[in-house]
Amino acid sequence: MANTSPARIWTMRAAFPALALMIMFFHLLPLETEPRFWAPPDLLILLAMAWSLRRPDFVPALSIGLVMLLADLLFQRPPGLLALLTVLGCGFLKARAAPHRESTFASEWLAVAVAVTGITTVNRLVLVLFGVQQAPLGLTVIEAVMTIAAYPLAVWASQSILGVRKLSPAEAETLVSRR
Amino acid sequence: MAKDKSQRDDYATPLRRLLTAVLCLCLAAIFIVWRIDSPRVERFRAQVVDKVVPSMDWAMVPVTATINLLRDFQSYQRLSEQNRELRSELRQMRAWKEAALQLEQENARLLDLNNVRLDPQLTYITGVVMADSGSPFRQSVLLNVGSRDGVHDGWAAMDGIGLVGRISGTGHNTARVVLLTDAASAVPATIQPSGQTALVTGDNSAAPVLSFLENPDLVRPGDRVISSGDGAVFPAGLLIGQVAKDRSGRMRVRLAADYSRLEFLRVLRHHGTEVIQDPGGLVGAPPGDPVPQPRPEGLGAESAGSTAEAGNG
Repeated sequence: MANTSPARIWTMRAAFPALALMIMFFHLLPLETEPRFWAPPDLLILLAMAWSLRRPDFVPALSIGLVMLLADLLFQRPPGLLALLTVLGCGFLKARAAPHRESTFASEWLAVAVAVTGITTVNRLVLVLFGVQQAPLGLTVIEAVMTIAAYPLAVWASQSILGVRKLSPAEAETLVSRR
Repeated sequence: MAKDKSQRDDYATPLRRLLTAVLCLCLAAIFIVWRIDSPRVERFRAQVVDKVVPSMDWAMVPVTATINLLRDFQSYQRLSEQNRELRSELRQMRAWKEAALQLEQENARLLDLNNVRLDPQLTYITGVVMADSGSPFRQSVLLNVGSRDGVHDGWAAMDGIGLVGRISGTGHNTARVVLLTDAASAVPATIQPSGQTALVTGDNSAAPVLSFLENPDLVRPGDRVISSGDGAVFPAGLLIGQVAKDRSGRMRVRLAADYSRLEFLRVLRHHGTEVIQDPGGLVGAPPGDPVPQPRPEGLGAESAGSTAEAGNG
């Protein structure tokens, strides 16, 4: 029952931007100023996806949008585009979350893979359409693959450390009835 | 109760959809505005960075220092090996130092003989690297000097030895340096000793490409690459690096600056290269102007009076 109390929900709603800020902080540390041949997984998107498949009420679209917009601005990306795509991707996953209650982890992972691939592809397509300079294709592919590969880790971290897990049907019922 | 709940759901879901749609529209609008009016949005971005990053600074410095300390600790394992290498390098360096001292004296003597005046306007501000670009796709660093310190877009940033990049985006307290390795960076350069001009174009790898070379046959690996000052963006004569050939035979620049440890950068104040625009007038007085003729000496008072007149006229 503690999982559905308003205090818990609002704490976790605040925890998402806080975690995101921490991730951005570690991204910005001037440790690696040489160009790299590989790209690390995009932890922000992973976190947003893992949470929206588990507890959609912890990550409202507004929160995802603002966090990703800030990341766009800080990381020198075209502002707004990746934020928009992430909001749409997480919306897609949230819509699938309800029927997924009973489904296996493999199918969930597949859905995330589809969403990440979709985000990366559409991002590149839009950038081509608007004539924006692109990162090398190899790096983008590596990043997408790493992101998909790291998804179980993100799920494990958010389940065991932060306690973001799926609601049992009874808990879901109390949550809905109180709303 | 059940009916009440479903009714609320009926209201809540469309409302939520509407809000999400509005959010998406806003984000799309931001992207399109950025594409249309890039400078304004980039200025906004610089302001956001200017607000956010300095507020993280108190934590950034210790965390970076700790991680670097741990990395250094790892390198202690190879300490004796490194020590041996350093000793042999030191021996070579002594010889080079002797040669450099002699050359420096010779250079100073020659400069003095030729009465050369080095550009006195090239002074610099030193900034500390606060943050990097945070993404593997962009190569840039953030300095803790900004428009408060008089930094302008387009100025050159160097470490102690070579060119590192160009200021692009200044906030009040921060300035972003786009590194030479970034895909958006292109710097006009001269290759010595052949004097060929080329563009040093970054492509997200450690060694930028030399493009638009006029005659690649004249350029050999090991040649020095310095900025040429063409386009009046950079001061001329800053060391960029050495020419190197990659496996596919393309000419690249091995950068002189130490990109693995960018901690302090010098931002060179540059007030633009002066351009000579008029072709130059005729030497001498314009026709029709009375020219005072030199008079033979010994004409006394009259001579003095005419000189005064000429001075008045």
